[in-house]
Amino acid sequence: MIHKMTDTQGPRFEVFQQERESRPHQNVGSVHAPDIEMAMQNARDVFVRRPQALNLWVVPAQAILAKTVQEIEADPTWNEPVDGPDGEAETYYVFQKTSQRRAMIYVVHVGEVEAETAEQAMGLALQKYAGDDVYVWWVCPASAVAASDEDDIESMFAPAHDKAYRMPNQYRTITQMMEAKKDE
Amino acid sequence: MTTLQELTEEKLKEFEARIARGEKIEPGDWMPEQYRKQLIRMISQHAHSEIVGMLPEGAWITRAPNLRRKMVLVSKVQDEAGHGQYLYHAAESLGVTREEMLDDLLTGRAKYASVFNYPTLTWADNGVIGWLVDGAAIKNQTMLARASYGPYSRAMVRICAEEGFHMKQGKEMCIRYAQGTPKQKAMVQDALNRWWWPSLMMFGLHDDESTNSDVLLRWGIKTKSNDTLRQEFVNELVPELHELGLTVPDPALYYDEETGNWVYGAIDWDEFWQVVRGNGPVNDERLAARRQAHVDGQWVREALEAYAARKTAGAAA
Repeated sequence: MIHKMTDTQGPRFEVFQQERESRPHQNVGSVHAPDIEMAMQNARDVFVRRPQALNLWVVPAQAILAKTVQEIEADPTWNEPVDGPDGEAETYYVFQKTSQRRAMIYVVHVGEVEAETAEQAMGLALQKYAGDDVYVWWVCPASAVAASDEDDIESMFAPAHDKAYRMPNQYRTITQMMEAKKDE
Repeated sequence: MTTLQELTEEKLKEFEARIARGEKIEPGDWMPEQYRKQLIRMISQHAHSEIVGMLPEGAWITRAPNLRRKMVLVSKVQDEAGHGQYLYHAAESLGVTREEMLDDLLTGRAKYASVFNYPTLTWADNGVIGWLVDGAAIKNQTMLARASYGPYSRAMVRICAEEGFHMKQGKEMCIRYAQGTPKQKAMVQDALNRWWWPSLMMFGLHDDESTNSDVLLRWGIKTKSNDTLRQEFVNELVPELHELGLTVPDPALYYDEETGNWVYGAIDWDEFWQVVRGNGPVNDERLAARRQAHVDGQWVREALEAYAARKTAGAAA
């Protein structure tokens, strides 16, 4: 008799990575964790085994409103003009996918809007950050985002720099093959 | 009036036009149900393979011959764990849950790469696995990095960049041992004898037998056929193995001047199906190890959940 074995993997958190000071945070994938603190730890283990991060953001997946251009075009209400908030508003981060060519890049942080709800934030983002080459839109409240703690950054990201043996260029297999051929 | 069928045909045309233009299909976009199903099947199997793939080499971490080799092996096994995570994420974007996928793996319903159902008998197996098994995986994954589904493609780009290290550390070991003591040479030859055919089988059935291939090629999930990739792999590998003085365990192998191909002998598909159906040398052991790891981690998951719940309660108070 086979039993259902899996208990729970916990909720899902989207992970955004900043590679260089001059680059915005970009989505790299997601992790599961019981809470946002553990999500940050898991994100570090899953996405930063090599030296390519200055900072990470983790966001509960349920806090994100995501729409592809196809979905927006299929729903005419998104084309109606949106007014700014008239009640209590909060900051929403806006993310876009703007390239079909660069295979690695998905949604990248482009800016902020002030809104009362995620739908209003999406509507405002569509107006404020409109462009011909936008394929995917994400918005999430800034309050839902946890960023790497200043005090933890070195201990989280610096050790990867010393693990040179993870890099393919540390293995001189081409030279070694040539030498093996000579010895033959 | 537009019928539902006409509407779907219209959407299908637009979908195929997008793929032809080289656009990526993203979560939320319209896609044929069969495209979604094939992707879930492929990506989850791929994720399971990364997770089970930790076991054959993981078994050698405590027996690495020196500290450098140990650090390299630990890093490689960590990478495979990470690759499993990238891929589960890509599959989740198609509507399947992490719990469903893990349950399929742990209950034995899901498939994973059969090559991991062979045992690692000596240290040299780690070298040959890196060069051949990871090498074959890179061939496949380099192709899949161009896949039409955005999340799968991005996971593959990330994985390929890291697999380069896996392949090279293995190849380096093989080169060293092939030039080493008679015992080392014999050890690497023995490992090659055992991993050669399972590596060739990793590319899947021959093109005329592979039932999933047509639709995968049509919708840009795969861009090269199984036999094309397998031949590229053999052509690159054989000359280097010969240069190292190693013998490929295929008496029928020959070089065809006309095509420039190294033509290999018949693959034992009976063995392939035996292993796929669960009768490989260590299928039971692999599954048992995954289940044990899951059970052993139960108290950790419970503790983390209790901590998270207490923190939430504290914040509310």
